[in-house]
Amino acid sequence: MGWLIVICLASGVDGSVSEQDRKEKDPLISTMQQELERARTELGKLNPAPYFMGYSVHDQSIALAVGSQGSVVNSTRSRTRVADVIMRIGTPALDNTHQGNRFSAISSGLLPLNDDRDAIAHVLWQLTYEEYRKASQAYLNIKTGTRVRAPEEDTSPDFSQETPHIDSNNRELGPAPDQQALEKIVARYSGQFGKYPYVYSSLVMITVLRTQFRFVSSEGSHLTTPANTVVRLAIQAGTRAEDGMDLIRVETFQVGNTDHLPAEAEITARVEKMASDLKALRDAPVAEPFDGPALLSGRAAAVFFHEVVGHRLEGNHQRGELEGQTFTKQVNQRVLPDFLSVIDDPTQRVLNGMDLGGWYLYDDEGTPAGRVELVKDGILKSFLMSRMPINNFAGSNGHGRAQAGLMAMGRQGNLLVSSSHTIKDSELRRQLIDQITKQGKPYGLYFEDIQGGFTLTQRVMPQVFQVLPVLVWRVYSDGRPDELVRGVDIVGTPLAVINRILLTGEKTEVFNGMCGAESGTVPVSAAAPAMLFSEIEVQKRGHSLNRPPILPPPGFETVDTTHSSKVGGPR
Amino acid sequence: MIFRSATRAMVLALLILRLVPPTLAQQKESHSYSDDDQVLRAMRIELERSKSKLKLEGMAVPYYIDYRVIDINGCVAEAVFGAVRANIPVRLRFLRVVVRVGDYKQDSFFGQGIGVLDFMPLDDDLLALRHQIWLATDKAYKDATEALAAKQAQLKQYSVDQPVDDFARAEPVVSIGPLAKLDSDLQSWLKVLQDASAMYKSDPQIESSEAGLNFLALNRYFANSEGTIVRSGQTLYDLHIALSTQAADGMRLDRSHSDMVPDIKELPSREAFLARTSQLLATLKELRKVPVVDEEYRGPVLFSADAASAVFSDLVGENVLGLKPELGQPARTTGAFATSYKTRILPDFLSVVDDPTIPSINGQGLMGKYDVDDEGVRAMRVSVIEDGKLVNYLMGREPIRDFPASNGHGRAKVPQNYPGPSLGNLIVRSSAPLSPAELKKKLIELCRQRELPYGYYVDTMGPQRMPRLLYKLWTKDGHEELVRGAMFGDLDARALRNDLVAAGDDVHIENLTQNVPHSIVNPSILFDELTVKRANVNNDNLPDYAAPALVSAK
Repeated sequence: MGWLIVICLASGVDGSVSEQDRKEKDPLISTMQQELERARTELGKLNPAPYFMGYSVHDQSIALAVGSQGSVVNSTRSRTRVADVIMRIGTPALDNTHQGNRFSAISSGLLPLNDDRDAIAHVLWQLTYEEYRKASQAYLNIKTGTRVRAPEEDTSPDFSQETPHIDSNNRELGPAPDQQALEKIVARYSGQFGKYPYVYSSLVMITVLRTQFRFVSSEGSHLTTPANTVVRLAIQAGTRAEDGMDLIRVETFQVGNTDHLPAEAEITARVEKMASDLKALRDAPVAEPFDGPALLSGRAAAVFFHEVVGHRLEGNHQRGELEGQTFTKQVNQRVLPDFLSVIDDPTQRVLNGMDLGGWYLYDDEGTPAGRVELVKDGILKSFLMSRMPINNFAGSNGHGRAQAGLMAMGRQGNLLVSSSHTIKDSELRRQLIDQITKQGKPYGLYFEDIQGGFTLTQRVMPQVFQVLPVLVWRVYSDGRPDELVRGVDIVGTPLAVINRILLTGEKTEVFNGMCGAESGTVPVSAAAPAMLFSEIEVQKRGHSLNRPPILPPPGFETVDTTHSSKVGGPR
Repeated sequence: MIFRSATRAMVLALLILRLVPPTLAQQKESHSYSDDDQVLRAMRIELERSKSKLKLEGMAVPYYIDYRVIDINGCVAEAVFGAVRANIPVRLRFLRVVVRVGDYKQDSFFGQGIGVLDFMPLDDDLLALRHQIWLATDKAYKDATEALAAKQAQLKQYSVDQPVDDFARAEPVVSIGPLAKLDSDLQSWLKVLQDASAMYKSDPQIESSEAGLNFLALNRYFANSEGTIVRSGQTLYDLHIALSTQAADGMRLDRSHSDMVPDIKELPSREAFLARTSQLLATLKELRKVPVVDEEYRGPVLFSADAASAVFSDLVGENVLGLKPELGQPARTTGAFATSYKTRILPDFLSVVDDPTIPSINGQGLMGKYDVDDEGVRAMRVSVIEDGKLVNYLMGREPIRDFPASNGHGRAKVPQNYPGPSLGNLIVRSSAPLSPAELKKKLIELCRQRELPYGYYVDTMGPQRMPRLLYKLWTKDGHEELVRGAMFGDLDARALRNDLVAAGDDVHIENLTQNVPHSIVNPSILFDELTVKRANVNNDNLPDYAAPALVSAK
């Protein structure tokens, strides 16, 4: 990213000539600056006065197409400019965001889509005085509250000091993707399932989300980042086993540009595999509860680390009386096997030829994205930090992320797991079988693919995680072929499970996804090598008892659908 | 904290979120139905297949199945302070499938048995359309089977004196109307929104200025196992503006205007819409200066026909619907008129009908016009209140005590709720009408008799039946004085029955889209006693600093 010019100023912003030029070119950011300055001056006369204000605008274009059974069910595009007015009242040591009051610092609204200065200024003015009412009231309540309550465990300030940044990389959003091309994509791939009468439902969705981020703050930052594009093609197909268990397969492709999508032949092959996987899953036996050796593919291990480790290293989760704080006091202690290291690097754009979903230049608080060493050789080193400090970590490391309209918090970007204890991927199966024999188990499990997961990080809930595997094989030690099973959920408590990793493969695999948390949904990526666990616990997945559809699907009225595999339907 | 994949529910939620409650009216087009309508064809094929073959071992077969599809096509746009901030095309098709097991007396329409909602393909691919119907029907049937068992279990807890049937029989109807299409030059209307919302520039104290449009074509398809097939199309054009300011004491003052019409020809011209906006601005300016109402007033109050519309909508319209109460409850309906059948609820000079069959009154299109309701029953004119007495409820196909049949008022919320009794065109008429001038004279006369210095005249209402434009009408010389900050103390069904003393010969038509598209048609009304008092609302501070200076010309 050599073209990026970052100028750091100690404080304040003054107008050099080239700076003026840029302002003229972008009426939106100059109006934001002008209104921010006016608000700072005017509200500065009041008591209490804000000590920090920021205006951010996410200019977002979304193009979406949804297909099912070869037909388009929705196709739409829209553009919005979401303005967030952030206001902090009090002092960095104690302000209106304290404890559970972070939302008192933000008011959001929609800005005009064209650069009408008067209209932009008026909307910002409206949001600002409304935000001041909210923030000042919250601050007064907090001031009283802290006098009444016992001191908190973590006495860090509420807001970190950071250097302001100026970066005007003002590229337009560029032309929207061809909507008809998107429609063709979803119709084509969803139509592919029409050949398979046992695939009851299919849904293919493509979204092209292009975002340009603008940010100005009373500290002197003003940023315009170039349009960031996230293209996400999600293919979902479902069937139902005779016992009523719903079975789905999901494939997602997330790239930074529609041209980066895999070739049609490759996606077609993946769709065919989804259909044949579903067929195999329908006929597969239901997994039994099991505790024993397991091998996770790189993608499965990546999701596992995102849930089990990544979410627990989010800075905001280390502070607050409701947080579980699994790792809070373990800095410089061993938390993983010593051959594993974890970094989060939003500045990395590509890995093994795959676009990484968690790439960005600046986080949503205007801090430059930073590579963070979270765990080095098994030792916990750092957390994912926004501008909310925690004990021993006073500043942001560029991980303050949020969707438009929400307050940023420390979130993952690209979580990359690396290992120094590796064997050839082709040897992993052998090692799994050795473990099975060693432990005297009848079989072990191989997790080929995973559809997602979730984790709980609050104290009031059990500190558990769950990942949702979709393709799980029983691997036998006596030479029998591997056997696909269905209805498996991995369960367990994080600290116990992560220390049962014995070794890893060499090849890193990437899982791109959308991650939802308190600060909204953000694109992320997780990457890891395949991992062998000495022990993993699985439970049976609960499921409905609804039978498969009574009538055959349209187009297959005369075919016995329960046992046919590939029958061409009259389309 | 979740890695998420695209799920059907998510997509559906996304689509529904984008939708603003819409509405309709009909467009002339000389299409006639043939088998080339793929949506109807898919519905008919799947209906035949399900009727003859849908059966679970050892379970009851469906006695009734219906398919309802709504196709929504249009645009929602918004401008703020003179610039467009949203312009969203809308194109969606929804399917709702209802399968009933049991029989007309007692069936599965309960809990999860109220039907399955899903989206439908937009392109007319017959197999894809059928596939979606097939899946939804299968689910609806299984849900219905479980719902009937759950309902019967719950009913065992109650003893019901006079059980009413669960579902009314209805004659099959075949009615294939033309499809509706939008007919508008969107760009020029976006310009109108911008220009109207830019008029705030004449007054630096305006705090919000928003204009919007909602243009939609709705095409509905319905087929049931009784042989009914209906297709109908309607269009809706809605243009609105809302402005607000604050008085020096912080009181928030709002004015808004909406034109909601079934035919684009009825929309105001650009000049007329801007003139209307400038009128709103002028009254806001005036409202800032006028005094707050006296603490309490009890006496005669005259409502313009416009202002009276909200009164009839809330106090009459909501309560004449034949809504069946919760399982096991003995009441006739859920509304305030549950026990009022055959009793007087309005003064004897007022009568009310609901007539969805008339397309317009005085050349103004009515939004509540339809030929066949969303349950496949032909629209009917229903006399609801005769000479002040409640004689009927508006009925869908869910019977209530003494009302075993539908009168063609079973309609569904857009996008695809299940149908229930709803208003069509609710028309209020007086048998002894006075002209608006006579009503004002009568107001002053009543005030004089009671030695009151003034009476109140309500010109316009806001939300929650709060007056927006309220005038003191002085007894001594009849002059009008605008006041602000009022609310009514006792504007309720009792006041409507006992204190309403006269109604006008004027007619106001209010087209509405809440719940379902409908119209309220009514005259102005005079109460001889009503309480008007100071509204008990918090006044926000004025903005802490002045509005930004304008860079462009006013």
